[in-house]
Amino acid sequence: MPSPDEVLAVRTAAVRLTGVSLTYGARGGLLRPRGTRVAALRDIDLEIGAGAFLVIVGPSGCGKSTLLRLIAGFAPPTTGEIAVSGAPVTGPGPDRGVVFQQPRLFPWLSVRRNVEFGLRMAGLPAARRRERAMELLGLVGLADVAGQRPYELSGGMQQRAAIARALAPDPAILLMDEPFAALDALTRERLQEELRRIWQATGKTVLFVTHSVDEAVYLGTRVIVLSRRPGRIVLDQPSELPFAPDPHTHPGYPALRETIATAVRRSASDDPGQDDSGQDASGSDDSG
Amino acid sequence: MLLLLAIWWAVAAAHIWPEVFVPAPGAVWEQLWLTSSVHEGRRGYSGYLLHEHLLVSLGRIGLGSLYGVIGGIAAGLLIGLVPTVRTLLGPLVTFVRTLPPLAYFSLLIIWFGIDEPPKIWLLFIAAMPPVAVATAEAVRGVHEDYLNAARSLGARRWQLPYRIVLPSALPEVITGIRVAVGVAYTTVVAAETVNGVPGIGGMIRDAQRYNQTDVVILGLLVIGASGLLIDTFLQFIERLLVPWRGRA
Repeated sequence: MPSPDEVLAVRTAAVRLTGVSLTYGARGGLLRPRGTRVAALRDIDLEIGAGAFLVIVGPSGCGKSTLLRLIAGFAPPTTGEIAVSGAPVTGPGPDRGVVFQQPRLFPWLSVRRNVEFGLRMAGLPAARRRERAMELLGLVGLADVAGQRPYELSGGMQQRAAIARALAPDPAILLMDEPFAALDALTRERLQEELRRIWQATGKTVLFVTHSVDEAVYLGTRVIVLSRRPGRIVLDQPSELPFAPDPHTHPGYPALRETIATAVRRSASDDPGQDDSGQDASGSDDSG
Repeated sequence: MLLLLAIWWAVAAAHIWPEVFVPAPGAVWEQLWLTSSVHEGRRGYSGYLLHEHLLVSLGRIGLGSLYGVIGGIAAGLLIGLVPTVRTLLGPLVTFVRTLPPLAYFSLLIIWFGIDEPPKIWLLFIAAMPPVAVATAEAVRGVHEDYLNAARSLGARRWQLPYRIVLPSALPEVITGIRVAVGVAYTTVVAAETVNGVPGIGGMIRDAQRYNQTDVVILGLLVIGASGLLIDTFLQFIERLLVPWRGRA
């Protein structure tokens, strides 16, 4: 487990964004004329240190999911540069594991084979694939359902399996797009705890998008608040809470929560003239 | 089923129409035995037993459907994945789909003669479009996050069709296959109108020529029953291959 000082001091930038903007052509609709350009992100400069747990918070439609998808390499930014571990991002890759809001496990594969997918792509022999998959399933507490199909599992278990799958190729960075938003409160809390444990155990750099302030305070060693579209960084707040034995009872919790909540509230009410359709460029709202 | 049989029996017994139009169930039943056995030196119908007619037809259906499924999946993948192919092949598939099989059968006979090849071609051409359309639609409907997830796990672009697109399209593809086999079934009688004996369609065709209505009806019943059986089998395969259908 890295010490707070190690993590908070940006030594190596795991991810570096320089002047990243994204503008996309909106689909012609009833209310929006064809060919309208929508600015989703404007001039994002961001440097994320290795081992950090960065949480991106913002009102819906602020482009926080879009930002994550750009780093994942699912789409290129309109302007600016994104570099991961010093190399420019040109597309998705196994160095960046992704967990979506929906688990998106492959239903034609068993849970274990889902976790093995990335290892198979990396060309690992079957025995070692199996061994590593079982180890990861153990880490997320799913060893006994390894042989089942994803749809036989509860939503929370599916999301755990998705985390195990994303961890399998041993990515330096884990990108998580509101992974717990679709779960019930109890399951969400348990998974937050487990994720904190996994992060501490593996030392991964985590980029985590959420609209929950509490989730951000609980998990983030650094919390970034984005404004409404076009998204800009309006708050960049470091935090030591995730290193505490129980962040919820940490004396700094209420103050930090208030700081972040205020920033989110202000950014949400900012410029009320804009529409609030809440659609990210990524279309990630689609629950399929 | 029993009610239908009772109505049939009653209508036949009332002799409203001559036997040539409505043979009695008993006559059809008798033909089942006559066509299935050797009697008075005559073997089944037109020299072949009923099950031989059926098996030959099933063989043609199987072969035609098999080629149709292979061609349909390949065409569907291309249409679904490559926009250029979509604009070129898409309309062609729709064009072929609207043609009645009998219309192009004449052409196939001119090209391939009157033996097996034109029949298999006919069934192939009839069976391919449903699979192609279903596959193409399913391929286009694959959620992009499945593809994104696979790419983030290290899959290369060329690995996606086999690793992700095809398996996630499988439920729709299998529905397409069921439709295709059904189409092949309805087409086999057309395929066997020329030199179709042995073959269940050929048997029906010959019986029609000699006004043996009981044999015609027997043939229809056999086609329907075997079709039902095969579709049940395909549904079983479907449950085996895509147990996640409707659940994921």
